[in-house]
Amino acid sequence: MADKIIKEANDRAARFFSRRHFLQDCVTGLGATALGSLVSGCNLFSGSGAAPVQSLNPLEPRAPHFPARAKSVIYLHMAGAPSQLEMFDYKPELQKLHNQLCPQSILEGKKFAFIRGVPRMLGPQAVFSQHGESRAWVSDFMPHFAERVDDVSFLKAVQTDQFNHGPAQLFMHTGSARLGRPSTGSWVTWGLGSENSNLPGFVVLTSGGKTPDAGKSVWGSGFLPSVYQGVQCRSKGEPVLYLSDPEGLNRDLRYQGIQAINEVNRLEYETFQDPEILSRISQYELAYKMQISVPGVMDINSEPAYIHELYGTEPGKESFANNCLLARKLVEKGVRFVQLFDWGWDAHGTDESTAVDLGMRNKCREIDKPISALLLDLKQRGLLDETLVVWGGEFGRTPMQENRDGKEMPYMGRDHHVEAFTMWMAGAGIKRGGSWGETDEIGFSAVKGQVAVHDIHATILQQLGFDHEKMTYQFQGRPFRLTDVHGHVIKEILG
Amino acid sequence: MMFFLQSGWGLFIGRFHPLLVHLPIGILIIAFLLEWLSRFRQLAVLGAAVFPTLLFGALSAVAACVAGYLLSLSGGYDEAALNLHMWMGIAVAVLSLLLCVFRKYNLFPKSWLPVSAAMIIALSVAGHYGGNLTHGEDYLTAAWPFGTKEVATTASFKNIEDAQVFEQLVQPILEQKCYGCHNEQKLKGGLRLDGMVHIRKGGENGPVLKDSIPEMSELYKRLVLPESDDHRMPPKGKPQLTPQDVEILYWWIQQGAPDSMAVKELQKTPRIALVFEGMKPSGDGVHPYMPRTEVSAVNDEQVAPLVKLGVKVMPVAAGNGYVMVSAVNASAFGNADAKLLEPLAKQLVWLNLGSTATGDSALKVIASLPSLTRLQLEYTGVTDEGMQQLSSAKQLKYLNLTGTKITDKGLQYLQKQASLRELFIYGTGVTAAGVQQLRTALPDLRVDTGGYRLPVLATDTMVFKKQPA
Repeated sequence: MADKIIKEANDRAARFFSRRHFLQDCVTGLGATALGSLVSGCNLFSGSGAAPVQSLNPLEPRAPHFPARAKSVIYLHMAGAPSQLEMFDYKPELQKLHNQLCPQSILEGKKFAFIRGVPRMLGPQAVFSQHGESRAWVSDFMPHFAERVDDVSFLKAVQTDQFNHGPAQLFMHTGSARLGRPSTGSWVTWGLGSENSNLPGFVVLTSGGKTPDAGKSVWGSGFLPSVYQGVQCRSKGEPVLYLSDPEGLNRDLRYQGIQAINEVNRLEYETFQDPEILSRISQYELAYKMQISVPGVMDINSEPAYIHELYGTEPGKESFANNCLLARKLVEKGVRFVQLFDWGWDAHGTDESTAVDLGMRNKCREIDKPISALLLDLKQRGLLDETLVVWGGEFGRTPMQENRDGKEMPYMGRDHHVEAFTMWMAGAGIKRGGSWGETDEIGFSAVKGQVAVHDIHATILQQLGFDHEKMTYQFQGRPFRLTDVHGHVIKEILG
Repeated sequence: MMFFLQSGWGLFIGRFHPLLVHLPIGILIIAFLLEWLSRFRQLAVLGAAVFPTLLFGALSAVAACVAGYLLSLSGGYDEAALNLHMWMGIAVAVLSLLLCVFRKYNLFPKSWLPVSAAMIIALSVAGHYGGNLTHGEDYLTAAWPFGTKEVATTASFKNIEDAQVFEQLVQPILEQKCYGCHNEQKLKGGLRLDGMVHIRKGGENGPVLKDSIPEMSELYKRLVLPESDDHRMPPKGKPQLTPQDVEILYWWIQQGAPDSMAVKELQKTPRIALVFEGMKPSGDGVHPYMPRTEVSAVNDEQVAPLVKLGVKVMPVAAGNGYVMVSAVNASAFGNADAKLLEPLAKQLVWLNLGSTATGDSALKVIASLPSLTRLQLEYTGVTDEGMQQLSSAKQLKYLNLTGTKITDKGLQYLQKQASLRELFIYGTGVTAAGVQQLRTALPDLRVDTGGYRLPVLATDTMVFKKQPA
């Protein structure tokens, strides 16, 4: 134990005192030391003596703890928190209580973000019906997705402990409501590396509009080396900022430039034998390769008309549909973790766009077809059985009408709700047509099959071949986990 | 001798036996080698070193015998094995002393080498039985690398409910942590734990099991004594039981120490439920595309030519010999390169050649890979001819032919592929009739023809707005 602390302290000290370490950290971080602390080890094959440049590439593919069901993850986050009561959690009892005052027994001891005093109940603003062989309830807000329910497993009783967007999004993606922890995608790329050496292992796509409330920390690498943070790609304009060559610099010259820099670095390595110099060389090479490969994979113009029709994509625009198609293309090329953020789901009812019966319905229309298309497209390409698709928000919404500052709202809206909300997962060994968890008859509390945020993380890691309890990173003198000291794999939705 | 026994010094000196025995073993082997080598003319000079070496060896052998005898008095060893070990040890001492005398007075020079050889044989036998006494009879044979070996493990069960409590949970713990000292040969405290009959019988201090009351059973009590306690089991320095092991023993005794009951027949306490939860396999146990058997790992020379082409070769899991191969960065991978996969034949389970220059002639090599379960050939040049080759791949479960030139004829070849579970033929020349024929032949196969479309709905373009009042 003591030597681990000393080693870490030395590494830290080196990062502060040496200019080279500081610069290194900005680009690749402690790649080499990071690999050493991963349980599955950095040697690909036992007794391996692979070429040094390769084994020091922090994104070199690595083996998980056990054979994995999922090779990639597509995580669809609806930032702002969609209302489960208008989409998947059918509560006919709530309809009967519509507009009645909320009983005091429910409100006692509870805290809400905006609700004050005694609010009125708000019945579901959508029409529900059962679909598929699994007879799952889905509302008419999601007519295309309703036909896909046999491909997914619902989690109807997810719980969180943060009722504000920023902390809740951080919690959902890093396992902690405070800043500083690595995101799920960072953990995964740190653990598995990248199968495709010409593309980043962790890609983030946003639908334009607002960035998530928690900022870019939701795809940050926290205390992991910064090479594992999500790379934000854009579906409009240049896919990756600052990657293309400056005007007037042709590719040959750029290549020679990188060659020259690498040659200087190689000489530096011969003098100092610092393995991180090799890591830096490999980063220059990846950036150069990405200049070619990223624009290729990020270009959806080459897709046939049939695919555009399926997804409802419009090339050149920033949209959730475009991002769904890109997610499929990236996963097809071996990218480990694709994180999609859509925005505008915060249906408080303060204006038309946040009314659960108007704005929210329009939001559902924007995702309904693309998500259904994504599931179908992954399926027909044989990718769904090794791609885990996760859908959800950062929390749910109350069965009560919001009464901000104790006043009546102009539109129908719901407040933030932490006690029960719906998420779903699909593909990669997840049960087809499954459902786990139940809420009470008004959808306020979870009564069965409660799932914590850490359980979601544990399950994602499990499908990727990791025992979440053994995936640790040494930091500040103790091992850290994505699931901290919590987390149970949700076995009920595993096929 | 009596002084030693009464004063208590006997056992102390006796415990030096394991240390002392290694002196004659080493020294006498050197003496034998010197004796033998001195027969060669160029090495005759070594003959002078034989006597002093023998003398040291003989003296240490005598010392080891004395210490060994004192140790044996503490009891707890199988009589027959102990006798054989003792007499062989004494034989070594006697023979080495005899050789000393012969050498010193130059008697019977012809007999020196044969007597030395006999001494070494006796030494080996004594050493082997000594090892058996300390570590248990099967210490050596259990590690025999050839043939099948049964690995007893409590680590994971597919269904813990069906596990036999004594046979599958308790016995493996005893076997790993207790048998070493409580077996047929080495009855420490007169106790044998290798069988329910012996456990019930107890040791020289009486029974070790009080039915249903673990707190009064020595078998449990001693496990939880402080490590410094003399009565603690396993004693300090020996491999200890894990907390889970202790919980299992406690629960088993609490349930009346049954010898033939399954987990589901007994009442579970909250504590044991937690232990069982932890014993569930950490994966879901079975991966649909993984073989059941184990395989040795590939080495760098086998992988290097593929890596050179930009092909990724990755173990499917840490410590697992099976590998997955991906040509996602090697679009030039073609027919001529397929033979590079042959050295990985045993280990290769998942192969991704999607969007490469692979064609039919590569499939001959690929079909001969005996472990291959998952094969991605989407957007490659493979045709119906290749499917004929593929029909000899008997383990294949997943086949992706998306975007290839396969037609119904190719599907006909695949009808022989009884192992196949998933087939993807989106964007090929296959017709509905061809798929129907394949489905009839292979009812367990899931064929995905793709080409999905979503219906056009009025709501797809409807924008919801506030109705004017």
